[in-house]
Amino acid sequence: MERADGLLRVAAVRYTLSLDKLFTLPTDEVGEGLFDQDNPNSLRVILTRARENARGVQDHITKEVWEAVNAIYHLVEGHSLEDQFSSFGALHVMEQFTRHCVLYAGITDITMPRGVGWNFMNLGKYMERSLQTLALSDKEFQVIDYNMEETRDIMQWRYLLLCLSGYELHLKTYRSSSYNFNALHQVLFNEDFPHSLIYSLTRLQRHLNAIVKENRSPESEALLRHFGRIYSKAKYMDPESINGRTLQQLFGETRTELLLFGRRLGQHFFSYS
Amino acid sequence: MCGADATRDHYDKVIHTLRQLDVGALIQKDRLAAELFMNQGITFTVYSDNRGIERIFPFDIIPRVIPGHEWDHIERGIQQRLKALNLFLKDIYGPQDILKARVIPASLVASCPHYTREAYGIRVPHDIYVHISGIDLIRGNDGRFYVLEDNLRTPSGVSYMLENREVTKRLFPNLLTDSQVRRISDYPLVLHEILSQLAPTQLAHPTVVILTPGVFNSAYYEHTFLARQMGISLVEGRDLTVDNHKVYMKTTNGLEQVHVIYRRIDDEYLDPLVFRPDSALGVPGLMGAYRKGNVAIVNAVGNGVADDKAVYAYVPGMIRFYLNEEPILPNVPTYQLSDPDTRAYVFEHIGNMVIKRTNQSGGYGMIMGNRVGEEEWKHARAQIEKESRNFIAQPIIPLSTVPCFIDGGFRPRHVDLRPYALYGPQGIRIVPGGLTRVALKEGSLVVNSSQGGGSKDTWVID
Repeated sequence: MERADGLLRVAAVRYTLSLDKLFTLPTDEVGEGLFDQDNPNSLRVILTRARENARGVQDHITKEVWEAVNAIYHLVEGHSLEDQFSSFGALHVMEQFTRHCVLYAGITDITMPRGVGWNFMNLGKYMERSLQTLALSDKEFQVIDYNMEETRDIMQWRYLLLCLSGYELHLKTYRSSSYNFNALHQVLFNEDFPHSLIYSLTRLQRHLNAIVKENRSPESEALLRHFGRIYSKAKYMDPESINGRTLQQLFGETRTELLLFGRRLGQHFFSYS
Repeated sequence: MCGADATRDHYDKVIHTLRQLDVGALIQKDRLAAELFMNQGITFTVYSDNRGIERIFPFDIIPRVIPGHEWDHIERGIQQRLKALNLFLKDIYGPQDILKARVIPASLVASCPHYTREAYGIRVPHDIYVHISGIDLIRGNDGRFYVLEDNLRTPSGVSYMLENREVTKRLFPNLLTDSQVRRISDYPLVLHEILSQLAPTQLAHPTVVILTPGVFNSAYYEHTFLARQMGISLVEGRDLTVDNHKVYMKTTNGLEQVHVIYRRIDDEYLDPLVFRPDSALGVPGLMGAYRKGNVAIVNAVGNGVADDKAVYAYVPGMIRFYLNEEPILPNVPTYQLSDPDTRAYVFEHIGNMVIKRTNQSGGYGMIMGNRVGEEEWKHARAQIEKESRNFIAQPIIPLSTVPCFIDGGFRPRHVDLRPYALYGPQGIRIVPGGLTRVALKEGSLVVNSSQGGGSKDTWVID
């Protein structure tokens, strides 16, 4: 569900900015990204899988959460919206999905008991969010060849910040003209920004601790240590020292480590072998 | 438009696209636009409207199109005009050379209610007085653009210009991208950059605020919109305090010094110690801090003298006097009613005249000579005789029309154009487009939102 939310946000921002000629983006391309059945990253496939997962854990989620997931699944499966996805209706359709995603987040927050199910849900959510932030940021910093001295103004960072719902916070928080550094600081190290890497990792740590507390074992202790290394690297990195290759490495290595951690987490808690 | 049922060439693409849509689709777009404005709270307030405070600013879905070469002419004309008006303000609150040279009668300036003696001798940052302005233009029968009035105090409407474009993106996305429309979306960032540059001392991060009269002001939506778009605080007078000639904002973390105030309240309410003592909207001591140079006020205090409707007639003279250039954009002919002969002439030809109060805007206090009733005219005439300095007359100019989508069909309606200009240390920048205001009532020439007017998105196309 977090991936669906992120995908919709990116699609809507790209589409809107394309109208200001900041991107070239045919409507068909957006439509394909959302509704293509053969693309494993399309909205349709993501939501179908989310529903399958929810069906499999119905005893761990509330009825309201299940209904929220089911409702958005039927929305994507119903053809009426896909038909509406002409150029005129594109944003309208994306807004409808986003509204459902937001509704899901709210329903989950107010109905789920703060037990194991809740903690695992949040592990997935923040893991996904960290990876999204890293991937999107990596792509944008790649444009300037990871060179923090490269001239780029705030308008050029707007895409990344809007995709991560951080544009307003950025305007309120960062006032210097070090636009590259400001954008990097916000997406990686700003603890008040719900889409920053450090925010997601802090939440991940909280939920992981809660899970491990209930399941003390050498494997889970190893998981904690593994995550601790990822977290510490981000938490105690000196933002001023990042530039060029170190920045590229930071994105790449953190992502690799998180994926590895996710795999270990899955093996430890969900593997049948 | 070129007549009742013909459009200018640059409308071809728009009209061609619209013709491919059926009426039902256009009605659907019209409804969607209304829904978007309502949901986003893009509203304005009408005084003395018993039905409530907030209203949607009527929006016509058909964009107005201006070709790039025409726009470039407008842009040059506005830049020239603003340079002259800015020099006039610097002069009038300083050496007053223009009065000594008798280009403008001293009595006219002295009798202007917005000539602010308290601003005399105050040096403003970078000698810029008119940071944010809206110049109202109309297109006459001859196809030329004329300046109808200058708004140099707190011109409103820029948020509608920006939101109109956002709504149009939803309605005609393909048409917008195919038409090579010039971009306007960076206006708030440019505005913030200019405001920051006006900080009295060289600070890396000056504190800039918007000063609003409060939630009941008709342009309150715009104040919140701009504050959000620039990421700055929106404050009321009671949120600010002055200590030792410095302005501070009261925050939950204590007092924070304010360096630049983009005020959206009129001069007379700014500081009860200097102007109206009963003002609850202002900040006591603000003018002292301003005079000391500890805070920049945007736009500068006293600008009203330059956009007074009687002074307006002398702007071409100012351009010649200060810049030694001929005006690029002409004025609408204006008659000063303080002169008895002129007054008599205007009264004789009242059927072709519009009479305006020199110190009012928003369409208030305006008398359309071709529509005024006998009783109303009798009353107005007595009023004019009594305070003739406060009135001017202009011939009724049949504003140009553009196609509008009204009641399920295309109808021509009269429009004006308010381009917005930002004057900073780096020069004057004009947002390509501006706000097109439409007189939605058939035959009406009054475009003001408070008088039944609406707006359109304005496309400058290359």
